[in-house]
Amino acid sequence: MIEARDVSVKLGGKRIVSGVDFEACPGEIAAIVGPNGSGKTTFLKALSGDFGYDGSVTINSREVSAMRPVEAAGMRAVLPQATSLAFPFTVQEIVRLGLIGGRSGALAGESERLPERALAKVDLDGFAGRFYQELSGGEQQRVQLARVLCQVWAPVLDGRPRYLFLDEPVSSLDIKHQLIIMDIARDFAKRGGGVVTILHDLNLTAMYADRIFVMHRGSLAAAGAPAAVLSDSLIEKVFDCRMRVGVLPSGDVPFVLPQSVST
Amino acid sequence: MVDHSIAGPSGLTARKAAGDRSARARLAILLLAVLLAVVALFSLTAGASDASALDALRDWFSGPDAADRVLSARDRIIIYDIRLPRVVLGALIGAALAVSGAVMQGLFRNPLADPGIVGVSAGAGLGAVSVIVLGGTALAPFTTLLGPMALPLAAFMGGLVTTLILYQVATRQGRTSVATMLLAGIALSALAMALTGVLIYMADDRQLRDLTFWQLGSLAGATWTKIGTAGPVMLIALVAMPFFARGLNALALGEATANHLGIQVQKLKYIAIAGVSAAVGASVAVSGGIGFVGIVVPHLLRLTIGPDNRYLLPASALLGATLLILADTVSRTIVAPAELPIGIITATVGGPFFLWILLRKRGVIDL
Repeated sequence: MIEARDVSVKLGGKRIVSGVDFEACPGEIAAIVGPNGSGKTTFLKALSGDFGYDGSVTINSREVSAMRPVEAAGMRAVLPQATSLAFPFTVQEIVRLGLIGGRSGALAGESERLPERALAKVDLDGFAGRFYQELSGGEQQRVQLARVLCQVWAPVLDGRPRYLFLDEPVSSLDIKHQLIIMDIARDFAKRGGGVVTILHDLNLTAMYADRIFVMHRGSLAAAGAPAAVLSDSLIEKVFDCRMRVGVLPSGDVPFVLPQSVST
Repeated sequence: MVDHSIAGPSGLTARKAAGDRSARARLAILLLAVLLAVVALFSLTAGASDASALDALRDWFSGPDAADRVLSARDRIIIYDIRLPRVVLGALIGAALAVSGAVMQGLFRNPLADPGIVGVSAGAGLGAVSVIVLGGTALAPFTTLLGPMALPLAAFMGGLVTTLILYQVATRQGRTSVATMLLAGIALSALAMALTGVLIYMADDRQLRDLTFWQLGSLAGATWTKIGTAGPVMLIALVAMPFFARGLNALALGEATANHLGIQVQKLKYIAIAGVSAAVGASVAVSGGIGFVGIVVPHLLRLTIGPDNRYLLPASALLGATLLILADTVSRTIVAPAELPIGIITATVGGPFFLWILLRKRGVIDL
């Protein structure tokens, strides 16, 4: 599992994240929500090993700051918010970069076909030969997700769970593809892996997350199951706008209905 | 993209996925190798001596017995001691410059990075001129200690310092600003050239002749001795750099993502910078400033075989070697019996090419 204890991150002398405790278990989707600038991405970058941190972050009991890149690459794959590309690579060539570490966990002989299968998963069949830079923003994001999936194709490798770190994976996608991507995340978790994802859509979060971490001004405002965390008062306080939280008639999944900010 | 059916290593026919340009790239490398051999042979026999390519080949493979020799003693000297060193040195320098350009472009994540344009060559030049002018006085301990290696090493150090400064100035949190990179390159070039100017001012007549010749960029001084000193440095850099091709590919997605994929980015950057400085330094030391090879060659190749560095780096080496041998052949035959410095030829072809890239990429490259 992933455990973060009392994690603080300073960037350029400014404290962006302070004292965050966090857990993500295999088999679960852990969602991080919060307003813009609340430190979600900075925290995820600390988990990914991009930023130094105070406190402790372990993945499968290994301290992140002490891991070599190749070891970390075998345990988790990271989908950043946006990826700029320097040269005219094809979609196939980009997705194949996910296999660089050589720890996809695919069966022997299967890895040659992985890029195609990963592209099919993200609903980009037939895109392999296209140039990445000619695709729309949402398509580019799905290509990057296919690359990330190739890196940790098997959710469990050598008996150890692996993780997907997704920073706003659905922000530039239409509703159908939002659901496709979240289903991929859920499937990854069902098969024994773990998912840590930053989301903005609270309803999507309520539908898919097993655990929600609400960040506010660099700290944790609440953590727990969706039904426990998503309340009118907390949401209004953190997001600074009026919300009505209800429960769908079909079950216990909460839904969040935003009201106007001005009234 | 077209589907290619090729025979896999197991002998089975594997369907290559769409968008996979590796089969095409491998074919291109093969063709480029053949082209290099043809151009090298042509260059060996082009010029005042009328020995044919066939004669040269037959002589090369003839036995040790003097009676079997196909070429006259005079032609043997011309081919083996004058033209062959030029061809070998031209190939080494062309390959070193082209691969250095491709590696720098991968490192800076920008198709406009080139050792000549961003001041690395000027820095290497300053190192070389220091040894030429101060080798007998201020730098005497350095030159006596290192002998003939002093010149390429000083050029290497000049190039290394320039590249490190450039990287520090132009890169913030893994992002390189093209504008900052090009402007920093201009500043560093100007500084290196000013210091070079001071040294030239201090030089005596004999040194001045060496310097003028060297500054214009020429392979005319090619000898087996020079190849012996600068060649190994270039060869080591050339052999080492393709090992970082995968890392450079990952770097195209940005430093953070390369790190997530398992690449030791910091180490990769230092080794790439050292490799580029060594290759550029060694070539500047023996031939002066030969510009634009590093930008023209990788750019042309990316258009045909794609940006995958596993194929781009070896293909750049081959095409760079071919083009420089060709340029040198033109330089020594076009105004025969005089010679045009090769730097003039590469700049005449490369300058407009660079402008063409700028025009094509206008709006795409974020300055």
